[in-house]
Amino acid sequence: MDRGWWWKFGLIVAVTLGSIWFLIPTYYSLVVLDRDQRNNLAVLEERMPAWAPPAKYRLNLGLDLQGGIHMVMRVDTKTALQKRTERRAQQIVNYVNDKKLGEVTADTDPEKLEVTLTAKDPGTMDAIQKEVLATFTDFKEVSRSGASLVLVQDESQANVFRTEAVDQAMLVIRRRIDKWGVAEVDVRKLGADSIQISLPGRSNAEQAKELVGTTAQLEFRMVDDSNPQFFAQLLQATPPPAGSEITLTTEGGFPQLQAPTREAIIEYTKDKVPENRVVLTECIANPVKKNECTSYRSYLLDKNVPLTGESLASADANISQLNEPEVNISFDPAGAREFERLTEQGVGRRMAIVLDENVQTAPNINEKISGGSARITMGRMGGRTFEEWLGEAQTLALVLKAGALPAPVTVGEIRQVGASLGDELIRKGGLAAVLGLGLVILFMAIYYKASGLIADLALVLNGLLILAGLAFFNATLTLPGIAGFVLTLGVAVDANVLINERIREELGHGKSARAAVDQGYDRAFWTIFDSHVTALISAFILFFTGTGPVRGFATTLIIGLLASLFTSITVTRVIMTYFVHGRNAKIVSV
Amino acid sequence: MQILKNKTNIDFIGKRKPALFLSTVLNLAIIVGIAAFGFNFGVDFAGGTVVEVKFDHPITAEEVRERAEKGGLPDVSVQNIGAAEENTFLLRMGGVTQLNEESGAKGKEALEALGGVRNVYSDLPNGIIRFRAAQPMDSDAIKKAVESAGIGVQEVRDLGEAQGGTGYDYQVVASGMADRVFAALNAGLEKPDFEQRRVDYVGPQVGKQLRNRGIMALLYSMVAILIYVAFRFDFKFGPGALLSMVHDVIMVAGYYLVSRREFNLTAIAALLTVVGYSVNDTIVIYDRIREDMAKYKGKPFAEVINIAINDTLGRTILTSGTTALSLIGLLIFGVGEIFDFAMAMLVGIVVGVYSTIYIASPLTIWLDERAAAKEARLRASGNMDHQQPNAA
Repeated sequence: MDRGWWWKFGLIVAVTLGSIWFLIPTYYSLVVLDRDQRNNLAVLEERMPAWAPPAKYRLNLGLDLQGGIHMVMRVDTKTALQKRTERRAQQIVNYVNDKKLGEVTADTDPEKLEVTLTAKDPGTMDAIQKEVLATFTDFKEVSRSGASLVLVQDESQANVFRTEAVDQAMLVIRRRIDKWGVAEVDVRKLGADSIQISLPGRSNAEQAKELVGTTAQLEFRMVDDSNPQFFAQLLQATPPPAGSEITLTTEGGFPQLQAPTREAIIEYTKDKVPENRVVLTECIANPVKKNECTSYRSYLLDKNVPLTGESLASADANISQLNEPEVNISFDPAGAREFERLTEQGVGRRMAIVLDENVQTAPNINEKISGGSARITMGRMGGRTFEEWLGEAQTLALVLKAGALPAPVTVGEIRQVGASLGDELIRKGGLAAVLGLGLVILFMAIYYKASGLIADLALVLNGLLILAGLAFFNATLTLPGIAGFVLTLGVAVDANVLINERIREELGHGKSARAAVDQGYDRAFWTIFDSHVTALISAFILFFTGTGPVRGFATTLIIGLLASLFTSITVTRVIMTYFVHGRNAKIVSV
Repeated sequence: MQILKNKTNIDFIGKRKPALFLSTVLNLAIIVGIAAFGFNFGVDFAGGTVVEVKFDHPITAEEVRERAEKGGLPDVSVQNIGAAEENTFLLRMGGVTQLNEESGAKGKEALEALGGVRNVYSDLPNGIIRFRAAQPMDSDAIKKAVESAGIGVQEVRDLGEAQGGTGYDYQVVASGMADRVFAALNAGLEKPDFEQRRVDYVGPQVGKQLRNRGIMALLYSMVAILIYVAFRFDFKFGPGALLSMVHDVIMVAGYYLVSRREFNLTAIAALLTVVGYSVNDTIVIYDRIREDMAKYKGKPFAEVINIAINDTLGRTILTSGTTALSLIGLLIFGVGEIFDFAMAMLVGIVVGVYSTIYIASPLTIWLDERAAAKEARLRASGNMDHQQPNAA
């Protein structure tokens, strides 16, 4: 046996042991843990031996196998962009009028995102054109003839806007889901304009429709500060129910209720607030994982909602002259009037900014604000770094925009599978895989004898590698994925059929066992390689175009085909070589 | 043990013309059939709602349909899935929510009848009715009014006073079709005798998008494989590989057409997998043809191909056979789309072998003969144009 052989042999042993090692978290999560703990990484980490791989490297069950909801929401960026064009057109007209450059009217073409400006006096158009193009840099000139100027939204700016619209919609959806108190939720972008949401273990698909609906999630409500001790007195008068963990905190600057869940506070204060008042909560974010709330604090607010996000025109995070982060907001004319009235009446009080029933912040009103623009300062820096401080301002700006400029969101698809069906599918899928692969293994052993057994060994290793590969990429095993697993192994064994047939043929030509094996592998290699590449091409295309369970199928196929190149060729050859070279076997059992 | 004991010497190439004729007729028939009857598109592509229910007692599909009809749902298609004794059914209907143009108009009337209601707008894709009222309204009254129009109500959202004091805004979220199905099946029962196992909604726009994407994926993968084959083999092998891929895809599509099984995302996955797999057999034979072309120099191309096909026949049957063997478990235990997937793959495997022998190889010969004839014609006409590439 030469050195090359020993290297390969060592590699095979290492790969085998490595893939078994990588399957430890999967084994613990699916077999050892109870089903409701299956996805709990902390418990998994605790139960596994210390030498096991990190818990995140485990094979997830797809929503079709463990039960849950898969949703795709579509963000209608086209409508949002059309609305934006109309808004900008109005702003251009206002700008021209304000600057006294002349008198213009604007027409918008919603399909082409074009704005046609027509001046009353053609003589003023040159100056208007120059000023408008210099100020509204998100527009480009299309054509100009006499008194009319056609502008179009700059494509790159429009793309930025589209991306932002989807990001904002994602933020809104995430916050609405957070309200349900779901432990594991996966919200991610899908393509250019869709959002994919996975909720394992959930079963109420109807609830999903709460996520759509586009108006008035953002509200400005006055905080009731007439009795700052309201919550303290409430807690004294009525002790909270046992187990609700409601406590009193003054960390927010005045007495507030604090509890680990939103429901606890809402439940406790129900029917205990004065008329025309309502209690809402603020999420105190986990300092490490910003998307989680460690606790919730209560606010007593006016029931009346004087101002909603519909009136908000813009919100941006900036750094003030004092080098402090702040958020600048501006309202549309109607909103500006209302905001002026509110701030005039409410000097000294606080105004809560509420997004989807969650209080985001409640700044003090320092003075009457007219003109429709306002600044929200971010309070004291406290223990935060400047980046964190600025980050909070940026998040707030995004939250405000999310309520203010939502692109319409529609339900694309909802797929919900009950947990009992999932269990049944796992059982049936498992049986199907065992039966199909058992038949293949049996056939190979009978038809090719010893060489067939070697191919079977490679097949088992291939199966192990697929599972370990899926676990390594933290991929998801779906029902079509099980079909993919079976099919891949059925295809993988083809390579060994080709090799063994070739060896038989070479033996038929009167070659020695050693020469027949060597030539069999050499001649069959490119055929096998080519057929794997073509299969991989279609698998990759399926991966990039497919969604949900079908994508799971493609993932399995890709990992399986790559693994098969190794197991069907290298692994079987190393074993065959051991017999014909090392043991000097004169007869090949094919 | 061997499947083909002695070397076969079947004249495949000699019978290529009748085979080609048969294939062309079959393929055209399938294409015409698709154009005339269309696929039985699943909700993935057609949009709509599918629910899966499992009853705890024996019941037939017809009885389930009757029950749905009695509960006020006339347009439901009911299909038994899995073994009969499992009492599991798929109920399918168009539409995602109970709000449609017709019921939306009725809902609008009912709301306006409450007085002071204006700007009623039915957002059909999302199943939400929005409106503005002159004075604050009672959620229950709104719910009752909308329900009287036959629209199940999931939630009434009180959006509070509109800006500028012009009224009070409300949204009514309609229940999904699934709820209506469960309610219809449940009508008159104390407690449900069935289990809700699965719900799929797909919006109409998404369905269209998914369908287009599926077709594009098929085209892309065929083109990519064609480029690879042309790059790895001689160019003249390309058309044969392409045509046999197209043939296989049409035949598998024919399975979905004739069986009336649901054509959905999994079907696209099956077609794509068939594309990737069927070309495997073609490659095995092409490799052999290339090898034999060097070995049997001087023999006519058609004869070399016939030898190559005969030499590789055993392994073509074996590789296809082992793959088919692995599908048996899925065919026995798979229900619904997984069964269809396995069945479609089986069809793809069988026609893949056939198309390699009777389509990919003959087309290669034909292209070769045509190139040779062209060359001969050029020689005969005395045109010694040196730029003419040598097709041999």
